[in-house]
Amino acid sequence: MDRIDHPFLYIWSSAQMTNQASPVEEQEKLLDDALNIVKVQAFQMKRCLDKSKLMDALKHASTMLGELRTSLLSPKSYYELYMAITDELRHLELYLLEEFQKGRKVADLYELVQYAGNIVPRLYLLITVGLVYIKTNTNLRRDLLKDLVEMCRGVQHPLRGLFLRNYLLQCTRNVLPDTSEAQNENEGTVKDAIDFVLMNFAEMNKLWVRMQHQGHSRDKERRERERSELRILVGTNLVRLSQLESVTVDDYRRLVLPGILEQVVSCRDAIAQEYLMECIIQVFPDEFHLANLQPFLKSCAELQPGVNIKNIIIALIERLATYSQRNEGNINLSVVQEDGQEQEVQLFEVFSDQVAAITQSRTDMPPEDMLSLQLALLKLAQRCHPNKLNYVDRVLAHTDKICADIHVASGKTHLEHNTAVFKELMKILKLPADHYKNILTLIKLQKYAPLIRHLNHPGRIMIAVHLINDVLDTDCTISTPEDVEAVLSMLDVLVKDQPDQPTTEPDVEDFMEEQGLLARLIHHFKSDSADLQYLILSAARKTLQGGGARRIQHTFPPILFHAYRLAFLYHELKDQDEMWEKKCQKIFQFCHQTISMLVKAELAELPLRLYLQGALAISEIGFANHETIAYEFLSQAFSLYEDEISDSKAQLAAITLIIATFEQINCFGAENAEPMRTQCALAASKLLKKPDQSRAVALCAHLFWKPVKDGKPWALNDAGRALDCVKKAARVAQQCMDGAVQAQLLAELLGRYALLRERGNAALTTNLIEAVIQKIREELANLDQSEEVEQITKHFHNTLQHLKNRMECPDPEGLGYEGLTLS
Amino acid sequence: MSFFGFGQTADIEIVFDDADKRKVAEVKTDDGKKEKLLLYYDGETVSGRVNVTLRKPGSKLEHQGIKVELIGQIELFYDRGNHHEFISLVKELARPGDLLQHTSYPFEFANVEKPYEVYTGANVRLRYFLRATIVRRLTDIVKEVDIAVHTLCSYPDVLNSIKMEVGIEDCLHIEFEYNKSKYHLKDVIVGKIYFLLVRIKIKHMEISIIKRETTGSGPNTFTENETVAKYEIMDGAPVRGESIPIRVFLAGYDLTPTMRDINNKFSVRYYLNLVLMDTEDRRYFKQQEVTLWRKSDKSRLPLHNAHHPQTLSHPSQQMPTRQLSASSEDNSTRSVSPSHPNLMQRSISPSMNDGDKHNGPSEMEQEKPDVITNKLSNAHIDNNEPEDDEEEEPVLEKTLPAEKPLIAEKPQVAEKPVIAEKPVLNRPESEASPSQ
Repeated sequence: MDRIDHPFLYIWSSAQMTNQASPVEEQEKLLDDALNIVKVQAFQMKRCLDKSKLMDALKHASTMLGELRTSLLSPKSYYELYMAITDELRHLELYLLEEFQKGRKVADLYELVQYAGNIVPRLYLLITVGLVYIKTNTNLRRDLLKDLVEMCRGVQHPLRGLFLRNYLLQCTRNVLPDTSEAQNENEGTVKDAIDFVLMNFAEMNKLWVRMQHQGHSRDKERRERERSELRILVGTNLVRLSQLESVTVDDYRRLVLPGILEQVVSCRDAIAQEYLMECIIQVFPDEFHLANLQPFLKSCAELQPGVNIKNIIIALIERLATYSQRNEGNINLSVVQEDGQEQEVQLFEVFSDQVAAITQSRTDMPPEDMLSLQLALLKLAQRCHPNKLNYVDRVLAHTDKICADIHVASGKTHLEHNTAVFKELMKILKLPADHYKNILTLIKLQKYAPLIRHLNHPGRIMIAVHLINDVLDTDCTISTPEDVEAVLSMLDVLVKDQPDQPTTEPDVEDFMEEQGLLARLIHHFKSDSADLQYLILSAARKTLQGGGARRIQHTFPPILFHAYRLAFLYHELKDQDEMWEKKCQKIFQFCHQTISMLVKAELAELPLRLYLQGALAISEIGFANHETIAYEFLSQAFSLYEDEISDSKAQLAAITLIIATFEQINCFGAENAEPMRTQCALAASKLLKKPDQSRAVALCAHLFWKPVKDGKPWALNDAGRALDCVKKAARVAQQCMDGAVQAQLLAELLGRYALLRERGNAALTTNLIEAVIQKIREELANLDQSEEVEQITKHFHNTLQHLKNRMECPDPEGLGYEGLTLS
Repeated sequence: MSFFGFGQTADIEIVFDDADKRKVAEVKTDDGKKEKLLLYYDGETVSGRVNVTLRKPGSKLEHQGIKVELIGQIELFYDRGNHHEFISLVKELARPGDLLQHTSYPFEFANVEKPYEVYTGANVRLRYFLRATIVRRLTDIVKEVDIAVHTLCSYPDVLNSIKMEVGIEDCLHIEFEYNKSKYHLKDVIVGKIYFLLVRIKIKHMEISIIKRETTGSGPNTFTENETVAKYEIMDGAPVRGESIPIRVFLAGYDLTPTMRDINNKFSVRYYLNLVLMDTEDRRYFKQQEVTLWRKSDKSRLPLHNAHHPQTLSHPSQQMPTRQLSASSEDNSTRSVSPSHPNLMQRSISPSMNDGDKHNGPSEMEQEKPDVITNKLSNAHIDNNEPEDDEEEEPVLEKTLPAEKPLIAEKPQVAEKPVIAEKPVLNRPESEASPSQ
């Protein structure tokens, strides 16, 4: 009756009406007409009340109520009419109440209003008068409530019946007996209130369900919409029950819940069942639900095929999970066993059992719903029982079984991408990942990895990427070989080719990105123990080597760098580990094998660089026999250069790297150094393009002359050959046709001259340098101005400036530039 | 009165003893108006005085004798000339002689047997009156005064209920129950209807009270049906298993006791007609005779002082009180048995009190209850259904074809209290055909 707190207003405002029988305008007109009559009659009624002519007032009230007999209005319009009329009825109620309280009782009023010939107005009046009687004499309460709810049976028309009973419910909301023990039995106890509301609920639900079966089948959609607009009327009964404060858990178990569930189950109407079950969950307190989980869930299993049970159970699970969390998991849940004994059980256990029973009994349930249920269970397990990993595993095992059933049903081996089941399974898989944020926990779940395999190829990639990103974000390390194996087997889809992968080439960028992630993951395979680290690496390599050329080029480098780092670690630990040299040797053997795998995979530049990197590491660690091994690495690199690298640019880059590496390595004796540097010089001079040749040959000078290290000059320094190299480079440079290129090469060469001289090679006399400067000047003078030339000039001048600086304040340890004239 | 405007004449007045204390009853006159008459019961003495007032005081009035008669008679309207007197009592008040002054004669009809109740119907009227006559040579001076007579009746409160299963095969099966077969005039009909099978689209259901007045005999029998009350008891279409409560208060309607074969001249019977209307306005009905009787309400008078406002007391508390009153005052009339299904009836009418209604100023406004009920009940019962004047029932012809017997008889279920009537649900309503 109160407009404001009535939930309808909201609902109607969003509901749009298209009544085929009477279109919108017609509805408006009908409603307007009716409202006008109501206005007139209500005015008359109030005037009569002012004059204390009760009987006339009742007559007008009855005429006004007669408008509610219409069958022409849509539920929305009927609701408006109902609101208008019940508002007016309040005047009558208040008047009577006042009269009664003043002691001016009207004899037989309850009987008198029953003379109204039409049942709808009669019952509205009867309720209004009955309410006044109850309010003024609580002794009548119990019997009057019983009578009112019984008499309302006379209205069997769904819409009119629903509103009439809603009026009854509204009117009585404040007068229902709400004490467990009545001083006067005629006042009734809360049990009478429960009976009253349950009865009203049962009748309203019947009427509501009946709407579904009336009228033409083509109006089904409209009817269902109208029904859903009216559902709040039915639900209000449950709200009223939940508002009875003296209902105990026991009352709820014995009276309220069975009463409701019986109706819900027996009405066999999907819309009603779904709505009412959710209503139950929402309106009653958590403690009540906890104490009655089993009956509630059992009823769920008995609902109609069309009912979306999933939503109901999920709502309940979430509600209880929240409750449990609020109480920090301290909830006492006891369940009456079949033998009548109470046993304390875990929330999860109850749900798990019941959900299993439900999914089994409801064969019509769509598989995605079954999965959603498992998802909800999973959430429950994680939220309420964070310590019980086996619960999670149990859910996953169930899920696994469901997926297997889906495969049997669909005849496919994997879940198709972007289907409903696929999405659900994805959620199930992501949930523990996001919850634990720890891949190590995931691998403890025995059923997790197998579950991933139900996804199709793109799905597995998605989840793998997700898992890796989690690891990277949380920066967790995987520190045993077993874990590594488990993790990699979980990420199987990225590690190796899949039987079901698409036959077309995958998108290169995507693939690179995935492998890049995998490579980053490998960096997290770390253990504090060096020995363990070695095992980890072998395990990782063992798994990863199955990935083929396309993958290992991404995945092996991090392994190798891990291995190199490990070698350094052993080097640091040499005081604690006597075996360190052997171990280092083993590591480099491992590295060598690994790199040769890359070579076998017909890669060239990558293994070349890795060999060089290895050689560098070896030379620095300096374990027994390291020279031979370093030489091996370097020579492998060189032979790769010779055999595999044909592109001139790549050749230049490779030879530059090889030269640089050699220059950095100090472990070689003459026996190993000589062939290496000769080969390098040879290779450099064999480069195809003159500028390349010039640069490479110039670099070769460094193979013959290294700077002073630790106060000692390199034993194998050969000033003459270094000079030869530079000279040859200058000669080759001058063979270049393009003046600018020539100038650039010479300018670079000038730097090289200066560098070698500063490193103490006296063979590079100032005269030579002067000649070069002279030559550059000549060349530059011949060149037209351009941006390129400007850069070269700048380069040249910078070098000159450097020389000038050195002349002014010479490096005390290096050779100076005495006698050099720069003009 | 004199033909020639001269001579003495006189007015007669009949004054009843205890007229100021005696109850009055409303009785319809033959022109449809209601008048209040003094109320007598069977066996009561009718006494009073006949006052003769001379128009011309001083001159004498010559007469052949003065008498007073008590007459009970039945008037059949189609036979205006013939009145059937079933009572005719005469008292001589004066021998022939002269009247010289106003004179008052006492009279008394002691313990008169008054077997029938006054009644005014469509074709018949039963009335009691006193007639004082001054017999003269030319024209008698006559004065008639009507009195009302009510016949009281008594039935035990425990009466057989009416319970019956009726239906149309494969179409509609219902079981209905009225709590009694005999109701007093202020009674409440309580019952319910149980739907066993519903394959028609019912729009609503009502109970009407039909009064059937039969006059004459043999070929000259006239039957007049009148729907006294129409009372909707259900709105909308029920489904199988639904049970609908019935509760009809009789006090508000204009009813008389059932009269059977009054002096072989006429009968008035009442029927409860249960009518179901489907969405195509076809009517399905079942008529059931009930006996109406007038209950003495004397015994209540001392118990409920009407001048004290009736407090709302709980019905079940009120019950024992009534029981007490019944056994103490009039044990033959009301012996409420505990098993009586009346409980329901009582509980619904917490402050129902017959005494109030008739014997004291009720707190309600001026209007009397029956006026109110008419107002309420007539408010709009007919406003959306076709005027069902019996004769022009449109469905009548349509549903009468002989080749399709619409009336299905269902054998009485053995264990049910048997009513000696064929449980037939008639369809369609054929009120046009007189007397069943």
